[in-house]
Amino acid sequence: MSQLDDLKNAIKSHLGELECVIGWEQGYDPLHATPLFIRTEADLERLIIGPLAVHNLVTYLTGFKGKKIGVVVKGCDSKSVIQLLNENLIKREEVVIFGLCCDGVVSQRKIRAALPADPGFVESVDIGASDLKVTVAGQAATLKLAGVLADKCLICATPDAIISDVLIGTAHTPAPAASLACQDEFEAKSDAEKLAFWQETMSRCIRCYACRNACPMCVCRDYCIATSRDPLWISQDNSPAENMMFQMVHVSHLAGRCTECGECERACPVDIPLMLLRRYMNKQVKDVFELQAGTALEQTPPLLTFKVEEERINERGW
Amino acid sequence: MERFITKENLIRLAEELSATCRVLAPVATCGTVTFRRFQPGMTLDLHSRMAAVSPKAATFPQTESLLTVKREIPEKKPEITETLPEGKSVVIGCRPCGARGKLIFNPVYETDKTKDPYFILRRDNTVFISLACDRPETTCFCHSVGSGPADANGSDVLLTLVGEGYVARSVTPAGEDVLKSALFTDAGDKGKEADAKNAKAREMMGEAHDYVSAPEKLLARFDDMDFWQAQSAKCISCGACTYMCPTCYCFNITDDDQGLESRRIRSWDNCMSHTFTLEGSGHNPRPTKAHRLKNRVGHKFSYYPDLHGGVMACCGCGRCIKQCPAGVDIRQIVKAAQEYSE
Amino acid sequence: MPAQDVRELRIVGFLCNWCSYGGADTAGVSRFTQPTDLRIIRVPCSGRIDPLFIVRSLMNGADGVLVSGCHPRDCHYAEGNFYARRRLEMLKRFLPITGIDARRFEFTWVSASEGQRWQHVVTEFTRRIHELGPAPTFNPASEADWNTLAVKAGQGQTCPCHG
Repeated sequence: MSQLDDLKNAIKSHLGELECVIGWEQGYDPLHATPLFIRTEADLERLIIGPLAVHNLVTYLTGFKGKKIGVVVKGCDSKSVIQLLNENLIKREEVVIFGLCCDGVVSQRKIRAALPADPGFVESVDIGASDLKVTVAGQAATLKLAGVLADKCLICATPDAIISDVLIGTAHTPAPAASLACQDEFEAKSDAEKLAFWQETMSRCIRCYACRNACPMCVCRDYCIATSRDPLWISQDNSPAENMMFQMVHVSHLAGRCTECGECERACPVDIPLMLLRRYMNKQVKDVFELQAGTALEQTPPLLTFKVEEERINERGW
Repeated sequence: MERFITKENLIRLAEELSATCRVLAPVATCGTVTFRRFQPGMTLDLHSRMAAVSPKAATFPQTESLLTVKREIPEKKPEITETLPEGKSVVIGCRPCGARGKLIFNPVYETDKTKDPYFILRRDNTVFISLACDRPETTCFCHSVGSGPADANGSDVLLTLVGEGYVARSVTPAGEDVLKSALFTDAGDKGKEADAKNAKAREMMGEAHDYVSAPEKLLARFDDMDFWQAQSAKCISCGACTYMCPTCYCFNITDDDQGLESRRIRSWDNCMSHTFTLEGSGHNPRPTKAHRLKNRVGHKFSYYPDLHGGVMACCGCGRCIKQCPAGVDIRQIVKAAQEYSE
Repeated sequence: MPAQDVRELRIVGFLCNWCSYGGADTAGVSRFTQPTDLRIIRVPCSGRIDPLFIVRSLMNGADGVLVSGCHPRDCHYAEGNFYARRRLEMLKRFLPITGIDARRFEFTWVSASEGQRWQHVVTEFTRRIHELGPAPTFNPASEADWNTLAVKAGQGQTCPCHG
């Protein structure tokens, strides 16, 4: 029996007690999956898992208050569940977690860079154990999966769900890269270079808030200060400064809470490398508070508490 | 008029035009293609795929200043200056679907009763040099909404890639003026090749879906919130679809105050956001994402066609499908409504 | 430094009402001279300060932002500055990735009796901001700058992540 069969059986046995189970199904073309809300056994037939199942389904959980929901999670997604539990945003007894042992998910951007023609013209896809055979615009190409995995997979220390009611698949011994080359390269730039980079990048931001809405930790929803009129934090003006202001708001509100699921960057329709900011903030949180969001239960988010003596904060001797 | 222009000369044409106009052309940065103000020396990305954003910013920018207000000292009368758009623009290398967007604006922004001077000035002073598509993407469905990969409606010049250059056909008098440039040469036989390419692209799209019953069927689902909740379950209510869409035309007007100066700006609004119909009292007639998605789909495939002679407020470019972080597919939603049975 | 020597820069100060504002008042009553670039905003407690106040000030064109509160363990409201200490530390550490010079933001603790210390803090910080000069803005200043931005984009300004 395959992993998918194991998962389907596990879901089937819980379906009766749940409002629905959130998983994935085939999307609008062979290279895309899309979230699936399973309510019946007929829905369950459409469930898929694998490298196309990129979406962090945990983002839907806080919309189902008071109802009992099942959700399929990869390792990275399970960290979001833990963080939501730590912040009392969901109740443990209201969620049944189907955890996966994940081999990594693809980055559409990397697939595009590796193909002879744009993946928008894809005709067929064959997913193997370690490669992807893609026919696009009449040309066939075989891509090594390892070469098109999302950046977050390259540094993933938790490929297997770290919280679950049912765990499917073979456990991994993760050996992640220490850090991402692109992150290091960016951090090494001078202030002026970084400013120029964000100025240019933010000039193509359209402030659609896909990054915010895709984020599992963003629960303010309709009351987000970015779109509040009174008080007015950010102007409707689509200038680089206002767009950057929104990113500063988002990252500040995620300090100590971001689980680096990368959905913000994936959701961005104009490919802004948002994770550069978030990974950096997380490094600071790790340095000062010695913790990473979503890695352990019963962990109070660091900015919601304090210590009288802070070991790693210099008290600004002037 | 039919002429021919080489790839190099198209860049030269952009350079020539940028001396007197604002030229917008597709440029690849960070792996994504957006429209940028063309400057000599830039590399364009015309062919890898259609731009992620639509060219609607040429006629309807995301932010535009409507007027400015200045006060010298509090007692003096404020000085109000209307900031109407000036100058001419050219969009080079958009796809036919992108250029068509403004056709959807026209019956709304220019009526007998109301004429939006900002939109009209920009529209009348922008030339669209569109590029016909060679092949459809998996998300293209222009053929199902009365258009096609080589639809000239909305463009001033339509280019079709033939060999190392483009067959250029003028659609409007403004387009004819463009073709008068010495950079264009005689098209000769190439016109036939262009026709064959255009036909091939249309053939590759397969059968069009018939949306004729959509307006009525969608209206029949108006009170069916169960239907809309199921359809909107995976939507994250962001607004990427609206902002990417060449035909979405809703806007907000806000004042940016800084001390004794103020600027009244118009900016894109988006019906997927909670604040779209949030009233001053706090009441919101569209409180959930199910309500809002119903509005968006309904507007494009039901209310607008009912008001404007059956024309769908959709150009079939598919950006809303491929840019949606959750893969919400408007084609599927409309089809579900059309095929709905108790 | 005397204000008439050089053009004043715009430095915003968020001072807690009980300690730092009092400290600034003490400095004033004692006639200590300080540069006049600093524009003070009084808040009830440093814990009231949303780090986004500092961000908004910087994005609006402030050349420097100074925050001052009661010494930790001496907060008028017992705990406010403990929270402030954590939040402001995270903000200070975050600024570098955005290209904003982190030296333009500083937070310190000055009590109501420390007039001399206040004078030192303001003088030092203002001197530092003048050394750094006016802050660069995120928005292109002119049409020419917008065009340069467009060209940079057009030349495929390489992003380390996306190439």
